[in-house]
Amino acid sequence: MTKLSSNNKAKVLLELKEVVKTYTSGGSKFNALDGVCLNLYQGEFVSITGPSGSGKSTLMHIIGLLDVPTSGQIILDGKDVSQLGENQLASTRNKTLGFVFQQFNLLPKTSALENVILPLVYSDIPSWQHRDLAVATLEKVDLSDKLKNTPAQLSGGQQQRVAIARALINNPKIILADEPTGNLDSKSGADVMKLFHRLNREEGRTIVFVTHDMDLAKQANRMIVIKDGRIIGQEKQC
Amino acid sequence: MLKPSFEVLLKSSFRSILKNKGRTILTSLGIIIGVTSVILLVSIGNGLKGYVSEQFESLGTNLIYVTPGKLFNSDGGFNQDADHSSITFDKKDMSLLERKVKDAEYVIPYSSKYVTVKYAKEIKGTSILASTAEFAKARKKYPSAGNGRWYTPEEDDRSAKVVVLGATIAKDLFGDKKALNRQITISGKNLKVIGVMDKVGGAGLGGPDFDSYIFIPLSTGFSIIGNEDIQSIQLSVKDNNKVESTKEAIKSVMLDRYKEDDFSVFDQTELLSSINSILNTLTIALSGIAAISLVVGGIGIMNIMLVTVTERTREIGLRKAIGAYPRAILIQFLIEAVILSSIGGGVGIILGSLGTMAISNFFPAKVTAESILLAFGVSSLVGIIFGVAPARRASKLSPIEALRYE
Repeated sequence: MTKLSSNNKAKVLLELKEVVKTYTSGGSKFNALDGVCLNLYQGEFVSITGPSGSGKSTLMHIIGLLDVPTSGQIILDGKDVSQLGENQLASTRNKTLGFVFQQFNLLPKTSALENVILPLVYSDIPSWQHRDLAVATLEKVDLSDKLKNTPAQLSGGQQQRVAIARALINNPKIILADEPTGNLDSKSGADVMKLFHRLNREEGRTIVFVTHDMDLAKQANRMIVIKDGRIIGQEKQC
Repeated sequence: MLKPSFEVLLKSSFRSILKNKGRTILTSLGIIIGVTSVILLVSIGNGLKGYVSEQFESLGTNLIYVTPGKLFNSDGGFNQDADHSSITFDKKDMSLLERKVKDAEYVIPYSSKYVTVKYAKEIKGTSILASTAEFAKARKKYPSAGNGRWYTPEEDDRSAKVVVLGATIAKDLFGDKKALNRQITISGKNLKVIGVMDKVGGAGLGGPDFDSYIFIPLSTGFSIIGNEDIQSIQLSVKDNNKVESTKEAIKSVMLDRYKEDDFSVFDQTELLSSINSILNTLTIALSGIAAISLVVGGIGIMNIMLVTVTERTREIGLRKAIGAYPRAILIQFLIEAVILSSIGGGVGIILGSLGTMAISNFFPAKVTAESILLAFGVSSLVGIIFGVAPARRASKLSPIEALRYE
């Protein structure tokens, strides 16, 4: 993979065009995203930040193809994915996205290895390769000595690194992290951020993370601030 | 496009079931009880059927019975409305049948009556069975060596005061003493015991079992009963293939003297199939009751699967986020439900079979392959039926909502 940072000449991985997400509650409509335009370039390290209720989680869900926009277009790797059905969305998520959550979301009583293998179970990769791939990926996050440990036997930081390995194993085009350090002490949080930086720098991984913490958000190459469903400080790009 | 493969799903379902061993056992318990009782009841039903068939075969396979009244209805079941004693036969029927039914080897009349028997101070109630000397020939059963003999045609002709005792009544009257050549009293008549039959077991037709009968020459019997009515007639056929044609011949003879509804001509197969149809109905009814516990077990599985889906909401959300199709989630939880019910089915089959073995020591019971297949099929089906609702709920969860679930 090419090594590059935010750069307008780089390939556009993801394009959001006039994305609107409307929620209806109690008869009144509310635009969680109000015409968002956003380009994500290959190899970028981007943070999305904003006050609570600003729409950053909704934006995250739209980018992660976990939710569909009310209107507007999402173009992922040159393909319009805004109108895909549930099965195609699932398959696209499996092939192109990796998720890291605040709560880790590892399967309890299940070894680190099995947890990392999980996305492969839903992929086209033949099962005889699963173990080797998982071992290699866990090595990348410095957990080669914890293959057999269950989440309960791992520290918070280690658990999050297992989750990152799980996000990496499908060789995704974009890694999406939702408050990845939110449940960690400052030391483990810093380690996780370091790991993200390393993956971005050494492997050219495209990383997008959501945080409400301004200091953390500033560590990214590009910071997207969202307020009332709109990206602020940015000219419309579409 | 089924991803992951069935094998992977099976493995992960087994793993999650094994993580909750106590819960798995408790959940399967309903199915275990249901399947065990279904297997036991079906085994007992089958055992009874086998037992009845055996008993009938022990009576002889080429016997045709002529009785008063309409014994069977048109469906082959027993007739409910018949007055079985509306008519009786007489000696003229006997001679007509002997003369006109060519394939009959023996034509044996019998009449019976419930009587009180006295020997010394013992008083017992039992039935006498009055018949000709050929009765023993037709059944090929005689007192064994040392136990006397059957009465002769000559004794029958002269109303000799002799009896042959069934094994049970002989023991009841005489205990361990020798019964042979002693006098018993029936209705004020003194009769000499000239033979004691060996124990044959089994049930008699519409009366006590053969071991409880006192066999008596027909003419002697008439004088005790107080009339010369023949209550039923039994014919034996030499050639097993001629049973049907002989039945027709008998019917045409009898129709000359009686109305069609006044008598029945039947052989063992008819009687056996009627009894079997009763036993089948009984088995089905009992298994049906036992199957209710399968339904209850199924509801238990549904309940625990709904709990599981709720407990594992975040896992479901995660699986969907990383690319599981809704159908993959559906199948995963369906498999878990089916595994739970199949474990119950498997254990139930083992317990039911062991129980049948234990019962079979003192009651006829037999496990059949059909009942095992049926029990396993039904329990898996229960898993599918009661697993669908929870599995559908799981597959329909929105990944965002599910991941947020606390």
